[in-house]
Amino acid sequence: MMDDVNFWLGYLTNGKHLTWYASFQFTIFAAVVGGSLAVVFGLIGATLKNSRFWPLRLIGSTYSSIVRGVPDVLFFLFFPLAFEQGVEWVMASQVCTPDTIAAQSAAWPPCKEANWFLGTPEYLILASVSLGLVYGAFATNVIHGAMRSVPRGQLEAARAYGMTARQVLWRIHIRQMWIYALPGLSNVWMLIVKATSLLSLLQIADIVLWADRLGAPNFLPAVGLVHEDWRWRYYLVLFVFYILVTLVSERAFAALMRRAGRGILVEAR
Amino acid sequence: MDRLLTEIGLFAPAVVFNIYFAAASIPLGFVMAVFLALGKNSTNPLISRLSRGYIYAFRGSPLFIQFFMVYSLALSFNVGVWKPLGISWFVLHPLFIGPLVLVLNTAAYTAEIFYGALRAVPRGEVEAARAYGMSRRQQFRHVIWPNLIRLAWPAYTNEVVFLFHATAIVYFALPVIGQQKDLMITAKELFERDYNAFLHFSVAALYFLAVSLVVFFLFGLVYQRLMRHLPATPGMRFAPKWIR
Repeated sequence: MMDDVNFWLGYLTNGKHLTWYASFQFTIFAAVVGGSLAVVFGLIGATLKNSRFWPLRLIGSTYSSIVRGVPDVLFFLFFPLAFEQGVEWVMASQVCTPDTIAAQSAAWPPCKEANWFLGTPEYLILASVSLGLVYGAFATNVIHGAMRSVPRGQLEAARAYGMTARQVLWRIHIRQMWIYALPGLSNVWMLIVKATSLLSLLQIADIVLWADRLGAPNFLPAVGLVHEDWRWRYYLVLFVFYILVTLVSERAFAALMRRAGRGILVEAR
Repeated sequence: MDRLLTEIGLFAPAVVFNIYFAAASIPLGFVMAVFLALGKNSTNPLISRLSRGYIYAFRGSPLFIQFFMVYSLALSFNVGVWKPLGISWFVLHPLFIGPLVLVLNTAAYTAEIFYGALRAVPRGEVEAARAYGMSRRQQFRHVIWPNLIRLAWPAYTNEVVFLFHATAIVYFALPVIGQQKDLMITAKELFERDYNAFLHFSVAALYFLAVSLVVFFLFGLVYQRLMRHLPATPGMRFAPKWIR
C-alpha cells in the first residue's frame, strides 16, 4: 500500500511530469493574450464596420467574413508562417548580396543570413496573435450586433443632454453595449480556449505534446517496462481539464453578466 | 495564372477526403442528436442527466483532444480485442476513426441546437395536439418535429459548415495512410517543398470557402422547401448565429 503511494508520488513528480505541469503556462498565456487581442480586434472590426466611410466598412466586413469562412486551424497555421516569411523577405532585402543569394540552395529564405529562427516564445506570441485575429473576426460580429441593440432612446437622450459624438460613443454606447455582447463574447472565449489545444501544431511543447510523450510506452533498461501505452489516460486528463475550464468560464461569465447588468432592466436585455 | 490552375488541380483529390469526412458524419450525427435532444428534455432524471452530461462534455472540450483520446483508446484495445478479431485494419483506419469522432462531436453540438428548438416549439400547438387525443408518437411526428426542424434549420446549417471546417484537423491527429491526404496535409506538404505559404494555404482556403458556399446554397434550398407553406419565404439569416 505504502509502496503504491510512494510509486505514484514519485511517478507523478518526476522531471517529465513537472515539465508537463509547467507547460500549462503556454496554454494559459495563449488563451489570455489571444482572448484580449480578440476583444481588441473585435472592437476595431466593429468600428470599421460601423464607419461612415465605405472603404473602411468594406475592410471591416471583408475581415469578419473571410476569416470566419475558412477553418480556424488553417489561419492559425498560415499567419505565423506568413509573418515569418514577411520578416525574412524584409531582412533579405537588407542583408543579402548577389553572392549569398547564389550560394543558397533551398527555396527559402533567399540567403542564409536572412534566416529568422523562431523559438517557442516567438511562436507562442505569433500563435496568440493569430488566435486574436481569427476570433477577433467572430468578436467583430458579436460587438457589431451588440452596438446595434443598444436602445436608440438612450443615445438620443445622451445627445439631447449635449454630449459630443465621442462622449456618446464612450460613455453611453460602449458602456451599454457589453450587456448585449457578453453572451456572444462568452462563446468566443470558449472557442479560444478550445483552440489553444492546437498550439502543438506550431512546434510548441504544450500540454498536448507532453501528454503524448508521457503516455507513450515507457521502457527503462534498469527497471524494464514501467508502463505500456497510457496515452488515452493522459488525454482523458486533458479532456477533463478542458471541461473544467469551460465550467469555470461559464461561472465567471455569469458573474460578469450580473455585474454588467446592474441598473439595466431585465426586460431590456 | 497557369500556376494557380495546376495548384487547384493538385488540391482536387484532397477535397474529396474533407467532403467524405463531413458527409459520412452528418447523417449519423443528425440521428444521434435528435435522440440526445429528446433525452435532455426527458422527464426521466437518469436519461436527462446522461444526455446533458454527454452534450456538456463534448461541447466543452476541444475536438483535437477528442481525436487523440478516441484514437489512443482504440490503439490500447488493439492487441486485446481488434487483432484477435482481425478487424484492426478497419477500426484503426483514419477513414473510420475520423467520422466516428466527428459524429460524437457534432451530435453534441447539434443536440444543443435541437434542444433549443424543442423548447421553442409553441406550447399551444402541443396542447391542441393533446386535446385532439393524439398519442405521444403522433404528437412528435405531426406537431413537434415539423416545428423543431424549421426552427433549428438555420442554426443547423451553420453547424454543418463548422463540421466541414473541423475536418481540417482530422489528419493532424490521425496518421496519414499513403496518398490519402486532405486539404490541410496537402497544403502543408506543398509548403514544405517550396515554402510558398501564400499560394498553397490560399488555395486550400478557397476550397473550404467554395464548399461552404455550396453547403449554404443546398441547405437554403431545403429551408425554402421546409417553409413552402408560408406566403413569403423568409430569407435564411445566418449573421447572428455564426458561433456554435
